[in-house]
Amino acid sequence: MTTTVAANFPGRTAASLGRLVSGRGIGIAALIVILGFLSLYPMAMLFYGSLHSTPPGIAGEFNLDGYAALFTAENLTVMANTVGISLVKSVLSLALAILLAWIIARTDTPGRGALEVLITLPFFIPPILTATAWAMLGNAQVGTINLVWRWLTGSEAAIVDVFSYGGVVWHMMQYSTPFIFLFVVDAFRAMDPSLEESSRMSGATRWQTFWRITIALMLPVTTSAFILSFIRGMESFESAVFFGTPVGINVLTTQIYQSITQRAQPDYQSATALGFAAMALMFGLLIQQSRLLGGRSFTTVTGKGYSPNVMQLGWMRWLTFGICIAFFAVTVALPIGQLLLSSFFQFFGFYQLDMLTLDHYHNVWQNREFWRAFGNTMLLGVCGATATMALGGIVAYITTRTLWRGRRLIDILAWLPWMMPGMVLGIGFLWGFATLPHEIPIYGTLWALLLAYVALGTPVAVRVTSSAYQQIAKDIEECSRVHGAGWWQTLGRILVALAWPAFAVGWVLIFFGIMRELSASILLYAPGTEVLSVVMLKMWTGGKPEEVSVIGLLMLVLVLMFRWVQLRFVKKRISTL
Amino acid sequence: MIKNALAILAAFLALLAPAAAQTDPEWQKVVDAAKKEGKLVIYTATLGSAYHKTVFKAFEDKYGIRIELLEARASEVRERVRIEQAAGRFVGDIHHNGSTTTWLMMRDGNLQPHGGVPNVKNIVPPFEADATRIPAEVISYALLINRNMVKLADEPKSWKDILGPKWTGKILSDDYRALGGGAVFFVVMYDTFGKQFHEALAAQKPVFSRDIANSERRVARGEFPLYIPFSLQDYGQLKSLPIKPIVPQEGRPYVRFDLATLKNAPHPNAARVFMNFYLEVDQQLVFANAGYNPVVKGAIERVNEDLRPLLATKALGTTVPERQDAMLELAKKIYK
Repeated sequence: MTTTVAANFPGRTAASLGRLVSGRGIGIAALIVILGFLSLYPMAMLFYGSLHSTPPGIAGEFNLDGYAALFTAENLTVMANTVGISLVKSVLSLALAILLAWIIARTDTPGRGALEVLITLPFFIPPILTATAWAMLGNAQVGTINLVWRWLTGSEAAIVDVFSYGGVVWHMMQYSTPFIFLFVVDAFRAMDPSLEESSRMSGATRWQTFWRITIALMLPVTTSAFILSFIRGMESFESAVFFGTPVGINVLTTQIYQSITQRAQPDYQSATALGFAAMALMFGLLIQQSRLLGGRSFTTVTGKGYSPNVMQLGWMRWLTFGICIAFFAVTVALPIGQLLLSSFFQFFGFYQLDMLTLDHYHNVWQNREFWRAFGNTMLLGVCGATATMALGGIVAYITTRTLWRGRRLIDILAWLPWMMPGMVLGIGFLWGFATLPHEIPIYGTLWALLLAYVALGTPVAVRVTSSAYQQIAKDIEECSRVHGAGWWQTLGRILVALAWPAFAVGWVLIFFGIMRELSASILLYAPGTEVLSVVMLKMWTGGKPEEVSVIGLLMLVLVLMFRWVQLRFVKKRISTL
Repeated sequence: MIKNALAILAAFLALLAPAAAQTDPEWQKVVDAAKKEGKLVIYTATLGSAYHKTVFKAFEDKYGIRIELLEARASEVRERVRIEQAAGRFVGDIHHNGSTTTWLMMRDGNLQPHGGVPNVKNIVPPFEADATRIPAEVISYALLINRNMVKLADEPKSWKDILGPKWTGKILSDDYRALGGGAVFFVVMYDTFGKQFHEALAAQKPVFSRDIANSERRVARGEFPLYIPFSLQDYGQLKSLPIKPIVPQEGRPYVRFDLATLKNAPHPNAARVFMNFYLEVDQQLVFANAGYNPVVKGAIERVNEDLRPLLATKALGTTVPERQDAMLELAKKIYK
């Protein structure tokens, strides 16, 4: 059929059309349609909102007022604050995460298996809980750290004040460090150590080898992680609203939040325009990354066999062990200890014997709405993470390992949702899904949530898998094709098989991203389709932070289970490589 | 003497009114139709309130009408209703939100007349119902102090007392520049004491936080000795902590929550029956015992003793939707 159609057209036109209607062309077109629906469609609604004086469905006029408002002194300060805070926290987090990943994956530090799980725990705790814990630990007046300091030194001054720029950065770092760590640790682990050994054999010191070989080879994964972290930093809300707003530090998301929820008449035009301004900034970053990586090879997984081994540090392994323990103690043990302790008392921060209780556990156990939301979230988490990784794996393959036409468009479409702050994108999904023809049963069902989660998770899935694909030598894939394997067989049996650790990490990141997602969920859930984040918000605003902390602790148990299974699985795969 | 007799007669008639309404054949038809509809979808901005769920459950038990609840923040509820209606999706029946948002939604045509509810005759001034909106319950605002940090003699008696030098840098507050309790406080203080009150309060350098539930606990933990404005309905949960709510002598700012029927509501009769039920003294008493001011007569007298003196204080004033944005802008200028 393809040949017949092509034969009717002369030269290149016929050939192009032939390719277009081929299986690959149809596949690409289908992928563009899916990604377009998930990202371009809600963005188009938002773009309309940014150019129109009223939101969709209300008579108004087209104008540029939203964009003109960007250039006020207040908004420019907010932009500078946002970029500055995000940049500082991303740089610090990246440095710390690389150090931790190198320790865990490339050295003989004792207890690495357990440390790997412990280091990543902060990422999975709802930010509002750690913010509450840190507000109790680090407030200047009666924070535990300052009280201890005053007791030890007799000083009147406070050594820590979390309500400051430093507090905002510090709280954000607790999420971005394990996030980047999760991103890079498997890439470190999957690297062929012969490259490092060659460097050492050629006379380079440990530091030179680490800097010139290890770090240089990790450039795709580290820059991806840095950019994701930077973008997330620009979109972060909880840290700024908790520790910044009370002392006059405003960032992009707090400004958007004010435009939408803090005015009698919500100003969607300003909010969406701010969102697009942020997006333009992030696009600039992506172009920079593309330039940085363009035309260079980062292959570390080749057809040649290798045995992953680790660097012998001697006595210094106890130093690296100490670094990991210190990180765990400060970012996990302190705040989680505070939460765990508080969950057994009637109120946070009131540790009196007569206030000891198990009521919070009992109340959560008895809460039918919580269990319904838990069931919905598990279903959405498993289906959403699996679907997102499948979609992300295909997109990453096309964008990193083919020269197919349309791959750049696919890459951009997959990135779009990550570049729009969540609370704005949530409105885009609401507008988009609600205005679909009623015959398409998405709005008001679990499908609406699932599709939003897939859209929001796809950029992570693509980055995780494309970084892993970039490390795999093309000759392995070619070998498979030469031996008669089809496209799908090669993708599944060679690339996915070799990139399994990255897939597992991506799945976990997306699964827990779904568990925490609130901005879209609160706008898309319907009676009966409540999810965990919405129920937690209800509890929080209903004055039950202790019950929220119980749920947070349950989530931590889940994380530990998932990570244990995942690491066992990854190790098994690595050992078979 | 005659006055007392009339008051007793009025109270007696008020108590009879719901019963009379329920035996009224016309109203009975509405109740029957509501039961036939069998379901009611409520969009509410009272996120996570256990007291509201108690009343919703009582309604389900009494009428056998199932309630589906969509809870979100005020602006989110409004936007969901707006886009749903613009897209021709008429899902919700009852809208339950603050009076400003309800007024805006009425102006935008998102609501429809409720069709008459017998129990509106029990509503007490200054609250009143109209053809579309029914007062539901009232959030009243007070001062909150930490009992361990503020001596009895230092407790503020007037709102103006917080302008004294001993409170400089020691006030935690909801943000006056954003919609919510802080904005209500700003408007009422502005109307009562004028702009100079706020200029003096700004000089006190209050610390703003929008995390209300946590702010109240920060005061209880001793991080700050004073919090404004404190929603009295939070008192019940916190009363075992070292805190004390104070309604100053001038009275308490308040904000009303309204019930209204959403445009093209699929279950309009169930909505009417629900509104009527909501205004029954027993249901209003649930809210009053939680710290909300009831909107009908006969409830405040039966409220718990620790709350009655606070709720029975003078209602000082509330926001006016038409002025809300201008007042938010003014607050931004004063509290930079």
